[in-house]
Amino acid sequence: MKKRVMVVDDSRLVRVQLEDVLEGTDYEVAAYCRSGEEAIERYAAVRPDLVTMDIIMRGMDGLDAAEIILKNHPDARIVMISSLAYGDTFDRAKSIGARGFVEKPFHQEQLVRVFGEALA
Amino acid sequence: MNTAMTREELERVLDKALQDVTERTAGVRLRQGDQPLGEDLCTVHITFDKGFSTSLTLCADTALLIRMAGNSFHEDTVTPEDLEEFSKEYFNVLCGKVAGAMFQATQVSAHFGPPAFYHGRYEPEGREAQLVLTYCDEHSEGAQLIHHVAQSNEGGTGGRENAE
Repeated sequence: MKKRVMVVDDSRLVRVQLEDVLEGTDYEVAAYCRSGEEAIERYAAVRPDLVTMDIIMRGMDGLDAAEIILKNHPDARIVMISSLAYGDTFDRAKSIGARGFVEKPFHQEQLVRVFGEALA
Repeated sequence: MNTAMTREELERVLDKALQDVTERTAGVRLRQGDQPLGEDLCTVHITFDKGFSTSLTLCADTALLIRMAGNSFHEDTVTPEDLEEFSKEYFNVLCGKVAGAMFQATQVSAHFGPPAFYHGRYEPEGREAQLVLTYCDEHSEGAQLIHHVAQSNEGGTGGRENAE
C-alpha cells in the first residue's frame, strides 16, 4: 500500500515535478495545499503519512505552518522542500521537528531517501 | 555579491547553479557562449534584501523560456500566464541555489524578495552589471545571467514591468 503524501506548495512547477518524481515509487500524492493555512485546515481530514512543506509561500510561511501542525498533531511527519536549505532556515526547521529537508531542485533518489528516513 | 568571494568564484557559483537548475527543472542544457540574444526577450529579476546587497537578472529569448515552461509543465501550448509563472518559479529556485552556494562559501545567510517578470530587457535602476554570463542552447536560443551591484551614480535604464 502506498504512503500518502500531502504536498504544501504554491508552486505549480514543484507540484508537477513531485508527480513526476513519485511515479513508480511507494508514495502517492493524497492532497495538494497551496498555503500553510490550507495545510493546517486540511491535515486532520487528509491524515497523510507524510507532508512536504515549502517554506516561502504567500501568507503564512511553511515553517510556521509546520510548527502549528506539529503542535496539533505531534505524530505528523513533515519534510521541508525548499531552495533555502541552509543557515538559520535549516536550523529552525530542525528545531521545530521537521523530519527532513530536501533542496530544490530535487531528484527521485534524494526525495525517496529522505521520505524513507522521515517515516522510519 | 559583495563578499570576500573572488569574481572567478562568483562566476563558478552562478554558472553551476544556472546549468544545474535549468537541466533538472526544464531538461534544457545551456552552455556558455557569446552569441547575442534575439529581439524577443523576457527578463526575471530578484533583489537580495538580506545578506548581500545585490540582485540577479535573467534575460532570455522568449522562445527559450517558452520551451522550458512547456517541458516543465508538460504542456504543448504555453500561455503568457504559464510563461510568467514558470519564469518566476524557475528563477526563484535558481536564486535559492545561488544563495545556498554563497552560504557554503561565506557563512552569510542571504534572503531575497519575490521575482519580478518583464517583457523585454529590463535593467534595474541604480545598479550596474558586474558580471554577465551568456548562454545558448542547441537551438541557438540564449540567455544572460547578470549580477548587478549598486552603482554610486544613480542611473540605469527602465523596463516595462508586467507583474509584481
